[in-house]
Amino acid sequence: MFAFLVKRILYAIPVLLIVASLTFVLVRIVPGGPFDAERNLPKEIVANLEAKYNLNKPVHEQYFLYLGRLVKGDLGVSYKYANRTVNDIIGDAFPVSLQLGLVALVLAICIGVPLGALAGVNRGTAIDYISMFISTSGISLPSFVIGAGLIFIMGISLRILPVALWESPQHMILPAVTLAFGPAAYLARLTRASVLEILEKDWVRTARSKGLSKFSTVVKHVLRNAMIPVLTVLGPITASLITGSFVVEYIYAIPGMGRFFITAVSNRDYDLIMATTLVFSILLLITNTLVDIGYKFLDPRMEVDG
Amino acid sequence: MNLENTISNPQPTSLNRSSFIVSAIAIIAMSLVLLTGCASRSRFTPGVLRMNLGTEPPAIDWHITTDATSGDVIVNIMAGLTQYRKNLSAAPSCAESWEILDDGKRYVFHLRNDIFWTDGKPVTAYDFEYAWRRIEDPKTGAGYADFLNDVVNAKEINTGKIKDLTQLGAHALDAQTFEVRLKKPAAYFIYMTAHWATYPMRQDVVEKHKDRWTEPANIVTNGPFKLDRWQHDYKIELAANDKFFEGRPALDRIKMFMVAEQSTAFALFENDELDYVDNRSFSTHDVDRYRDSPYYKRVPLLQGTYIGFNCLKKPFDDKRVRRAIAMAVDKNVFPKLLRRGERPSNSWIPQEIPGSSSDAALTFDPEAARKDLADAGFAGGKGFPSVPLLYPNREDTRLIVESIQAQLKQNLGITIELLNQEWKVYLATRRQDPPQLFRANWIADFPDAQTFMNLFTTGNGNNHTRWSNKTYDKLVETAEGELDQKKRVGLYQQADRILCHDEAAIVPTFVTTQNLLLKPWTKGIEFNALDIQFFKTGRIDDSNESLNKVEPPAEIIKPATKPIEPANSEVKKP
Repeated sequence: MFAFLVKRILYAIPVLLIVASLTFVLVRIVPGGPFDAERNLPKEIVANLEAKYNLNKPVHEQYFLYLGRLVKGDLGVSYKYANRTVNDIIGDAFPVSLQLGLVALVLAICIGVPLGALAGVNRGTAIDYISMFISTSGISLPSFVIGAGLIFIMGISLRILPVALWESPQHMILPAVTLAFGPAAYLARLTRASVLEILEKDWVRTARSKGLSKFSTVVKHVLRNAMIPVLTVLGPITASLITGSFVVEYIYAIPGMGRFFITAVSNRDYDLIMATTLVFSILLLITNTLVDIGYKFLDPRMEVDG
Repeated sequence: MNLENTISNPQPTSLNRSSFIVSAIAIIAMSLVLLTGCASRSRFTPGVLRMNLGTEPPAIDWHITTDATSGDVIVNIMAGLTQYRKNLSAAPSCAESWEILDDGKRYVFHLRNDIFWTDGKPVTAYDFEYAWRRIEDPKTGAGYADFLNDVVNAKEINTGKIKDLTQLGAHALDAQTFEVRLKKPAAYFIYMTAHWATYPMRQDVVEKHKDRWTEPANIVTNGPFKLDRWQHDYKIELAANDKFFEGRPALDRIKMFMVAEQSTAFALFENDELDYVDNRSFSTHDVDRYRDSPYYKRVPLLQGTYIGFNCLKKPFDDKRVRRAIAMAVDKNVFPKLLRRGERPSNSWIPQEIPGSSSDAALTFDPEAARKDLADAGFAGGKGFPSVPLLYPNREDTRLIVESIQAQLKQNLGITIELLNQEWKVYLATRRQDPPQLFRANWIADFPDAQTFMNLFTTGNGNNHTRWSNKTYDKLVETAEGELDQKKRVGLYQQADRILCHDEAAIVPTFVTTQNLLLKPWTKGIEFNALDIQFFKTGRIDDSNESLNKVEPPAEIIKPATKPIEPANSEVKKP
């Protein structure tokens, strides 16, 4: 296991370097710069600003300066939010997205997996159709529609939950449900497909013929094996949920990290774009590693290697 | 045994068990939701104002920031030499009086002696001196550094030609006297002293905390409120400043949320979680719903929109073509499309500002337009090239440009292509190589015609039309230094007519408005045409006093008639 983790870390370094380099180049290719505004700044002032942020240096020099800072853990400065470093911004926003994302992840798993399993076990019955209707709706409906609907029903019409903001645990309910809806639906469909596949296996038939109860067969054997493909997608789902969703954070006015994936680009806030991309990549690498470790627990026959 | 069938039709006990668990969880969750949610709450808290900033202010350092969101915070925590009255004339603030000397080239401000920073230290002329030097220091990277270009050596210092900051023509003569020397008379200069870019600043605080000096624990201010809490990207809280020299404000606290989504912000307002909404939170659909409400207000803004021509590119290098376009567009259509109280423009200078006239721009006249186009060689639109009209990807802008496209097709028989670009790409295109037609707007920094008219002078960095006219330049330059208000207005009117009528370098389309909806308990907030919101006169209470008695309806707020006069009895004339 230790060798596996070391391998993974070594493998992550070139991956992150490639991600950083590509992002660095791409953000500078896009037309428009961080200091473009409705009111054009005089050339002299733009020159002062570019000098302040080292943007007047050749691109390759900027690149090596950036990498030098990155190695020291300095993610750079924000050109948009002048008195804040990118470390400050990520440090403030990431815990919020993490908190919301984890709640949504738990919700998605707790709803999606049982829903899919019930549908799979009851294929062709009303339960199956209802489950699949719910999951198809979850996949088809964009989160801004679900969010707006929940705000209208639970917040404005019934007035039983806050419509937005981030003030108390109560404020977390609607955004977490909105955020969880899509992944829960996806997990439900995947679990159903996987359960159906496992139910066809000979060893399930053997288990049942040896007298194991239906409930035990499904919970102990079928679900455990059906979880392998589910676990595979949990990696990217987790990374995506805990780094925040632009739409959900935007409509519920949550101070998370998700919004920066869009606003950093529209503001041409170069270092912030780099940081959001890198944080997402790192989390993806971590969750994928955890997923690989999870395989071993679900099926000890599986080989875990880098 | 058919296992498939068995699995597909599980034993009733198993199913019931699962259903029971699921149902129990659902019931518990719903009960919790209902119990927590049903707690009654009051609709407002007396003395606490809740409003929406829309976004995180990019900075609260008033030398760094140039945006209105930051301005909404800064103007409520700071006070400058002067301040805007409701009619936008300049009134005393930190300066109790001022003298205008040397034919308008020297201003001497006399400061009050009872102004204190929030840490108890007195506000002195040295704080202004430091601030004005800092904004011009190239190391600061101040976006508004050019704001003070009229001050002696300001531009030279900012461009690095002069390294010695003490050479700036702004000096503290003593703790209570601040002197400013200008390169040339500037009739609009007094307005600049009300702008946040010229507010005082504490050298010791800035140097001690460096980039962190604007955080709540570090910042020191002198305005009606102080920065109490800043949850980045979420909320700013201001608390009343007991030491404010005009007296403690009635509001104890202001909660400024940063809700970007308009419909969410409006839902918060409807749910009594915001005490008023403005354009940031008030969609056209909601304006339509509340148009007849007694709490709906409209304030004209000093924000002009226009269609610009690149006058160096064919066919718009011919003024007859530009005039034809200008006369083929019916501006009265735009307010009907946008439905937010926009006013069609008859002049590039908004009507709130002296210098504006009702007939400066060409009016809708399709027949005359067709004649001009025919004179230019495009009779009936024949042979007219397909030209792009550049616009940023905003819904309201799209409606406008589509209307213009249809009107030009109908009235002149010409086809234009709509070129939609993402905001920063649009800005870069407009800056580097403006296409033949583009849509743009301009927001006044201060309430004077100079801010609009200087824009189209030769070589101005924001003159994307590339239009150059010596007569216009001369008129604008003369008007800037003219201290006789009557003559000045006449000069600007002449220049405006050249710009929008004779040469038609632009087609001014409409002036925007601020749409406001207030809760009945929200009173006394000053909304003005510069789109600056002052809360020091605001109140949140349930007194029966009618809103309209507290302040006149916004529509009848009149502009200053003599904006360049200091207009206060304390002013000492030379």
